[in-house]
Amino acid sequence: MLVYTIKFMPEGYEAAANDGDNLLEIAMRSDVYINASCGGNGTCGKCRVKIVEGQVRAPMHSKVSREDYDAGVRLACMTTVHGNAVVEIPPESQVDRAALGRKAEIRHILSVLGDRDLMRGWGVDPAVTKLYMELKEPSADDNVSDLRRLEREFQTKYGRTDIAIDLPVLKTLNRTLREAGWKVTATVMETDRGIGIVNVEPGNTEARDYSIVFDIGTTTICAQILDLANCSVVKVAERGDNGLDLCTVAELSDYNGQIRYGDDVIARIMYSRKKGGLEKLQKALVKTMNGLIKELLGMGGIRAEDITHIVCAGNTTMTHLLLGINPKDIMLAPYTPAMTAGVSGFGASGGTERSGASGIIIPPFRAKEIGIALNEHGRLFVSPCVSSYVGGDIVAGVIGSGMFREEGISLYMDIGTNGEIVLGNRDWLMCASCSAGPAFEGGGIKFGMRAGTGAIEQVKIHPSTFEPMVLTIGKAQPAGICGSGLIDIVAGLIETGLIDQNGKFRRDCDTARVRHGEDGYEYVICYAPETTAGRDIVITEVDIDNLVRTKAAVYAGCKVLLDNAGLSYGELEKVIIAGGFGHYIDIERAQVIGLLPELPMERFIFVGNGSLLGARLFSFSKDLLREAERVARNMTNIELSNSPSFMDEFVAAMFLPHTDQDLFPGVMKRLKNSG
Amino acid sequence: MAFEIPKIRYTGKIEEIVVGAGQKAVRVGGSGCYPFCRFEGEMPNPPKIAFEVWDHRPEDWQEWAIEPYRDVIHDPVAWAKKSIDVYGAEMIALQLKSADPNGMDRPVDEAVKVVQDVVNAIDVPLIVWGTANDDKDADLLRKAAEVCEGKNVAIGPLSEKNYKQIGAMAIGYGQVVMASSPIDVNLAKQLNILLGNLGVPDEKVLMDPTTGGLGYGLEYTYSVIERDRMAALTQEDVKLQRPIVCNLAHEVWKTKEARLKREDDEKMGDEVKRSVLMESVAAMTLAFAGADILIMRHPESARLVKEMIGELMK
Repeated sequence: MLVYTIKFMPEGYEAAANDGDNLLEIAMRSDVYINASCGGNGTCGKCRVKIVEGQVRAPMHSKVSREDYDAGVRLACMTTVHGNAVVEIPPESQVDRAALGRKAEIRHILSVLGDRDLMRGWGVDPAVTKLYMELKEPSADDNVSDLRRLEREFQTKYGRTDIAIDLPVLKTLNRTLREAGWKVTATVMETDRGIGIVNVEPGNTEARDYSIVFDIGTTTICAQILDLANCSVVKVAERGDNGLDLCTVAELSDYNGQIRYGDDVIARIMYSRKKGGLEKLQKALVKTMNGLIKELLGMGGIRAEDITHIVCAGNTTMTHLLLGINPKDIMLAPYTPAMTAGVSGFGASGGTERSGASGIIIPPFRAKEIGIALNEHGRLFVSPCVSSYVGGDIVAGVIGSGMFREEGISLYMDIGTNGEIVLGNRDWLMCASCSAGPAFEGGGIKFGMRAGTGAIEQVKIHPSTFEPMVLTIGKAQPAGICGSGLIDIVAGLIETGLIDQNGKFRRDCDTARVRHGEDGYEYVICYAPETTAGRDIVITEVDIDNLVRTKAAVYAGCKVLLDNAGLSYGELEKVIIAGGFGHYIDIERAQVIGLLPELPMERFIFVGNGSLLGARLFSFSKDLLREAERVARNMTNIELSNSPSFMDEFVAAMFLPHTDQDLFPGVMKRLKNSG
Repeated sequence: MAFEIPKIRYTGKIEEIVVGAGQKAVRVGGSGCYPFCRFEGEMPNPPKIAFEVWDHRPEDWQEWAIEPYRDVIHDPVAWAKKSIDVYGAEMIALQLKSADPNGMDRPVDEAVKVVQDVVNAIDVPLIVWGTANDDKDADLLRKAAEVCEGKNVAIGPLSEKNYKQIGAMAIGYGQVVMASSPIDVNLAKQLNILLGNLGVPDEKVLMDPTTGGLGYGLEYTYSVIERDRMAALTQEDVKLQRPIVCNLAHEVWKTKEARLKREDDEKMGDEVKRSVLMESVAAMTLAFAGADILIMRHPESARLVKEMIGELMK
């Protein structure tokens, strides 16, 4: 609900804002340029504006003299709006748009779409649930065994006879039942082979039912604690607005502890072939997960024993390493993984709730069996994979995005350390993986970093002074550049003509920000005094090359997949973007660099971390777990390395935006106008 | 109904480019059909042969390649004139071999002096071919463009690395540029786009697709030229509608098969006939693919190719 109107003078451009919105952020999203180089943390003092009228709040600041302050001068980054306002942009920040021949445009920035919308049509019905039961106390005329007593309850109350229990639960059953006065809560897990009793604990703990979900990336691991007991409440009441936070108690991420053994999956597989390598990798991963679990529990104030299960989604190599399975054949032709089925208890074919699926299923096991420090009973679920290079993270994303049940055709692209793409609808799905390189996650970029505090996330470059306007995550001191920042910067460089369409700097521009550095030509985004490391943050020609290669691989992969299906970009109803490059993606800018095809804005959806989104849904719904097995099994994998046209498409895409400029008529028009 | 030969429908046309100035200026390109497919469209200008002249006495030429030029091989101006007067050259391609940093590395000024002398001495169009070293050429070809002012010469090769420096001078002095890319249709197009962005007019650009010798990668060049032409003529790819120049002589004559004498291997037959045929076959093949300018060495191979082109244009 945008309530206030903020008018930027002298152009008179009006932007809408909420109460308490930051003025610099309003300007950024409204395509209004204001000098700002410290990311919005109030140190550079360049984002001076004059408040002509209106309700704003900003503290006194050492960069603004008393006299100026009284005259209405404020730092935009320190200013929040609390009513309609008229803001004057000082001359040094003004952009002569008449000279550019274009008007201020509302930027098409997509923020992460929640799963609330995506979950429509699917009931919240987790595979692991808690059942409170009051058993009849044994007596002389009813002295059947404890287990029989439990069985009777399941039969009479739930009509279930397909129940299994294992030794660890059995061992403590008699004691628990008696100590609890026969009032207990059973944690049960539904699979295609019936239900399994996971845990029996005293009293009624139905209200304390949590799960932890993991996205296990090659570089980054993200985790959330979900409140499943509350989830059913939400389901009933149809409440909650932000889907990604739906029932989320806490969220955290950390670098994968395996990084020290190699940057990409191939390096990890190589390491796993060394003596003791596999064990080390598995331990490093579990250690990272344990660290996250501990911190999450602390953040949420949740007891470890109330976590009933864990769901993990990761690429095929990560899935193998998590389970301690040797991944070496993933790397060797003909690239056969040990398994692709998920650890879900569900099969890919047949199988109604009672009859069980045909084929092999992998029942979820105790998380502690692989070293996860949680509790005795918590079960571990793992998303199914498709092939050696299309993994459970992608399957999770396909489920999370809902594309597998749409009639229209969608293209799902996950831009992580690798680029994976899925094309199709409810009737068919095709997928491919292209070794895109980790540029969008900050890899191979001199000042690249993942999307964390201090990461430069949004950048605008002034078309005539070439000064940047920089916003960082958390408005903290700039520490590096994350994926969405990179997209903004490179798009800005090309729009202002600082680089050519081949990504090389023009050497004759009148700005000190383009200079010859230690790695060749570069553009300075932030000077040393403004940054955390006290070093200039720059983007080099080498960085741009890496970014161009990455985006070219993704674009070419999509093109080849579309060609294989006999489709063109225009026939796509939706383009779903996933990836950890930031909280936002500016679609227009991504089109300027040729990462995304030029399609109408409303066809794009940004889901952020698709893998985590899917893992969440697996925790919420056993139907989706089963769907995941089916979807993973039925997806057709196209090996791009065998595709003769891939290399050709790749070279064609190694240009900004693309060698075939007819594919980007809108971008070319804009470049012409600004150039 | 009478039988009708199926014909390709062309939607594009190759840019017609003038090289040289005055009466003997040469027109290349302008085709609206695949090479020699004149039953389908216009081919106003047959492929032209440019005789190569080195800027310095060649060290490692075969005796039989030197023979036609023995009296003039030490003097680029005389060499160029003999090629025109005696062998009927319609164009001269001056190869600035001696400036190559990996060879003699002659200073830019000395090489440029040769360019100046040659261009002033001849009345047919001149092609100035640099060292293919990006940095050296950036300097060398810029100065070459300057001293050839008013002569509308073709200078190159321009790469992705030095196109700006050379391109800017070529615009300034009104020369034609030869945009060179490593046997790839997309890279060729990218360089043409960059030249366009720089402001080089479309009618001042020739493409050098990188030429492989017969038996040494000719087929790659053939297929990339073929693809360039398909894109230009049938897919309306305006950025590829440029005439093509193939610098083939050096590639053919350096091969083992063009060097071996009959006495080294009886099965190989007469060395003169063999190497002349190798050059002719390479040139003809490239002409069939779509080359518009063929840079050649031996007068006899040039004669053969010219004769065959003449037959095909009848």
